[in-house]
Amino acid sequence: MAGAAALRRSARRISRHLAAASSFSRSALQQPERLLSSQASPEHGARGAVSGSELALYPPERVRNFSIIAHVDHGKSTLADRLLELTGTIQKGHGQPQYLDKLQVERERGITVKAQTATMFYRHTTASQDSDAPRYLLNLIDTPGHVDFSYEVSSLPGCLLVVDAAQGVQAQTIANFYLAFESNLSIIPVINKIDQPTADPDNVKEQLKRLFDIDPSEALLTSAKTGKGLEQVLPAVIDRIPSPPGKCDSPVRMLLLDSYYDEYKGVICHVAVVDGALRKGDKIASAATGRAYEVLDVGIMHPELTPTGVLYTGQVGYVISGMRSTKEARIGDTLHQAKSTVEPLPGFKPAKHMVFSGLYPADGSDFEALSHAIEKLTCNDASVSVTKETSNALGMGFRCGFLGLLHMDVFHQRLEQEYGAQVISTIPTVPYIFEYGDGSKIQVENPAALASNPGKRVAACWEPTVIATIIIPSEYVGPVIMLCSERRGEQLEYTFIDAQRALLKYRLPLKEIIVDFYNELKGITSGYATFDYEDSEYQQSDLVKLDILLNGQPVDAMATIVHNQKAQRVGKELVEKLKKFIERQMFEITIQAAIGSKIIARETLSAMRKNVLAKCYGGDITRKKKLLEKQKEGKKRMKRVGSVDIPQEAFHELLKVSNSK
Amino acid sequence: MLRLAFPLVSHLPPRKPPPICSRPQPARRYAPSSTAAAAYTSSSSSTPPSPSLSPLPPASAYVHLPFCRKRCHYCDFPIVALGSAAASPRGKGEGEGEGADDPRIVDYVRLLLREVAATRPVSDDGVPLETVFFGGGTPSLVPPRLVAAVLDALRGRFGLSACPEVSIEMDPGTFDAARLAELVGAGVNRVSLGVQAFQEGLLRACGRAHGVEEVHEALGILASCEGLQNWSLDLISSLPNQTQEMWEESLRCAVDARPTHVSVYDLQIEKGTKFGQMYTPGVFPLPSDTESASFYKIASKRLSEAGYNHYEISSYCKPGYECKHNLTYWQNRPFYAFGLGSASYINGVRYSRPRRMKEYAEWVQHLEDGTWIHECRSPDMKDLAMDVVMLSLRTAWGLDLQSFSKSFGRSLTLSLCNIFKPFVESGLVIAMDSKRRALPHTAFELDLQNEGDFGSRVAFIRLSDPEGFLLSNELISLAFGTISP
Repeated sequence: MAGAAALRRSARRISRHLAAASSFSRSALQQPERLLSSQASPEHGARGAVSGSELALYPPERVRNFSIIAHVDHGKSTLADRLLELTGTIQKGHGQPQYLDKLQVERERGITVKAQTATMFYRHTTASQDSDAPRYLLNLIDTPGHVDFSYEVSSLPGCLLVVDAAQGVQAQTIANFYLAFESNLSIIPVINKIDQPTADPDNVKEQLKRLFDIDPSEALLTSAKTGKGLEQVLPAVIDRIPSPPGKCDSPVRMLLLDSYYDEYKGVICHVAVVDGALRKGDKIASAATGRAYEVLDVGIMHPELTPTGVLYTGQVGYVISGMRSTKEARIGDTLHQAKSTVEPLPGFKPAKHMVFSGLYPADGSDFEALSHAIEKLTCNDASVSVTKETSNALGMGFRCGFLGLLHMDVFHQRLEQEYGAQVISTIPTVPYIFEYGDGSKIQVENPAALASNPGKRVAACWEPTVIATIIIPSEYVGPVIMLCSERRGEQLEYTFIDAQRALLKYRLPLKEIIVDFYNELKGITSGYATFDYEDSEYQQSDLVKLDILLNGQPVDAMATIVHNQKAQRVGKELVEKLKKFIERQMFEITIQAAIGSKIIARETLSAMRKNVLAKCYGGDITRKKKLLEKQKEGKKRMKRVGSVDIPQEAFHELLKVSNSK
Repeated sequence: MLRLAFPLVSHLPPRKPPPICSRPQPARRYAPSSTAAAAYTSSSSSTPPSPSLSPLPPASAYVHLPFCRKRCHYCDFPIVALGSAAASPRGKGEGEGEGADDPRIVDYVRLLLREVAATRPVSDDGVPLETVFFGGGTPSLVPPRLVAAVLDALRGRFGLSACPEVSIEMDPGTFDAARLAELVGAGVNRVSLGVQAFQEGLLRACGRAHGVEEVHEALGILASCEGLQNWSLDLISSLPNQTQEMWEESLRCAVDARPTHVSVYDLQIEKGTKFGQMYTPGVFPLPSDTESASFYKIASKRLSEAGYNHYEISSYCKPGYECKHNLTYWQNRPFYAFGLGSASYINGVRYSRPRRMKEYAEWVQHLEDGTWIHECRSPDMKDLAMDVVMLSLRTAWGLDLQSFSKSFGRSLTLSLCNIFKPFVESGLVIAMDSKRRALPHTAFELDLQNEGDFGSRVAFIRLSDPEGFLLSNELISLAFGTISP
């Protein structure tokens, strides 16, 4: 089953960004040239307009829907750019590179967070040299690749699996492949970056053969940078990927790929029409919520919003239907003709929150601002769960549930980059299950909520695990095995994928990888390791709640749940770290880590020696006062528990305390 | 009632006549001094707080004389460095030639006199000046007859009380007996001598323009000046490479010189100074925080043993010899100020003059033209409360809770006391009854619990000496957080 989950993830990867849709607007209609380039279809009219009657020229057999999946930095975005240029969808040298990566976070990290689609018109000249060469409508669907952005797009018939010619197969490649394979996708292997001096496409072909049983002759060799070999890609898409299988005469049924919130237009849904046709003015309904909507606008992404008034069977585009919030537009939902009952398409999967963290305004008085920012951001990322919570140290804030670690990271980054929110987040945690002697069971998403002295016996605890895939040069196997065993990992597989590289599979507690695992893995392998994981089942574990106390007062936001055998070590490390980041105050401070009422680690911070302005300013007290006011403001930014002031950095630093060391 | 000058005066040390009235009293132009005294001590009145009360007129004046031979390495004051030519002004007072006066000084004093002339007294019924302070810079570099001219101008404009305190800062190596006598003759009756250290190496390292020999010479001149009984010796602690032995030695020498007043300043490293570029506070060769805290405690101990009262964070005096001018600041009373970069507090407004000579000259011109007027504004209550807390907690008298309560309300007073509660218990803050006897923390807490009746025992709070004083910034900024969250 590991494979299936992996597939799911890769599917997620499939697309890149829909998110960007909200930023489309003007530029969309301002690239007339792109339609005049060689592959553009002149009959689509000038200025980017595409009429519904033109779309009617593309029955399902002239439509191909595909995604590009790849390990990070293997060239997926550049390849997408080249295909868009090749078809005249965007003009070469215009617009930003990584066209489909519209969010800053996506560009910086080279990942896809929001699904995105682009429609291209392509004349299949290799099939027929004359001007009667058949024209195809190709939809590139970029979906998030990472497990975190849990996603299933089984309606996609095929994908390009891009592998770097020098780096070869990496952890994500494997996850991607299995996800695609188990979904029965047609996979076109593309060995990219063959222009590099260290490129070794033959070795990569070997790897593909050994790991995935892919016939070496199937692989396309390309360089998205120089353009070499690109001409084979779209013909391969047309020849090897089946056309969408829908029924043209059925009532309309479509899969919701992703949605965005646009301030002016409202919710914009990206959809793949599976059966029937969708027209402006149609009444449609959501299978998940049962709500009905009227289609106000419908069109294709070419590459920005281009109204067509209609989408036919097999086609991919956007719908605006007066939804107020993206919460109404669930990824994977089926939209269908209102008043008809339809079989929902497979694909909808309720979001499963696996990583939780408290988010608090850095400045306590900014709660409203943070609340507003989170509300806005969840408009574009409905997969985050948000509930209000209060902490004795941090005041009012939110407990947020994320699909995974990357999802959480990205959410934080977007809060900061797109909404300017200054946030303190608590140590991320996973949903544990505690069962007590009296048979009661609770799921713990916030360690602070777990009673330190429950007054009843804990009968058993469970924690979620993952199956991790790690690929490393073989000389690093030793340290990586050591790391995984420190993290309570159980080895499931250890194989060599070629003469130099090993593949390890481990079952690891999710908690062990959410803090600092990847960094450490990169550190001990000089950056060569690649890593991916998929969710697995819960396992029973000996877990305890670790409290941090300052002068005897527990700091709820610092509580954490750890494995009993690690409690001592983690406690000691947390306490030492805090000692470094809490400043001396006017009294001595004891910093303790405790399990229940048992203290397991302790440090003492002696009192401040002096803080005095013994200087005469000739009656000019304003300077002195400014200094003191600054000092007051400094105190205000601190978080206070009992009488102890805790600087914000202390909370940030605690996040860096690893589980294992 | 709310006064611009917050009425702390009632619990000041008993007002005594200055130990010496150095010269015949100048004729007072205005009302008898009892008026001023009455104004000062009006706090016993039980009128309710009212922000609209007319402000008390200033009875103090600060005069900035910015000239120095060279800039000390720790100094970020507005000064004018005259260079080595000014290194030996001794003898000038003997009339070697008035023409030898540095034109920069003469021009500046002219500017000062214009500012004095252009400044309108706050009150028409004339409250004369009780204190005048010539600060710098190195005021002793200014020829005594020019100092006298300024003093005359002040007397003419605002009046001087019968026994005013007239202080001047002097540096070793800048004066001889004749020059001092001339200053005393002009009306100066208090000297603040900038000794800073008794070690040649330390003086050199701070960039002082004098050595230990000049220090001893200056001390001899002061001791033998008959007309001068009241003088202060200023020291700096926590200098680079200063050891505990050196500090003990400096304190011993200071006590041996028998000044009536000692100021001990803890070296502050300011941005933009030479020290600022060279050193980081707490890092060698500067003493660590622990060491410099210990210097502070040693000073408090040694000077107390020698009979000095530690009446303010950095000030010690023999009984009755508090610097009255500085008390004006700490009691938040108004004061005039004249000269480059100086800060005045008039009509509830603090104003700092330009720190550059050219801009200051332009500003004086505007003042004369009437295009710049000292504004009059009723102060923001929070600001006022912060000033009062900040200033009064610097002193050994501390904060008068009853007056504070009258001016700023009972609930603020209670919150202040509550925030200090743990520190009363730990001994950083001392609660006192109306007779200024220290109360045990339990009595303070009991009083606090008794909200309706709060103040039945506790009348003052102060910072303890030396621990509370040493953490005064922390404690005061804590209070700020309560006053202006």
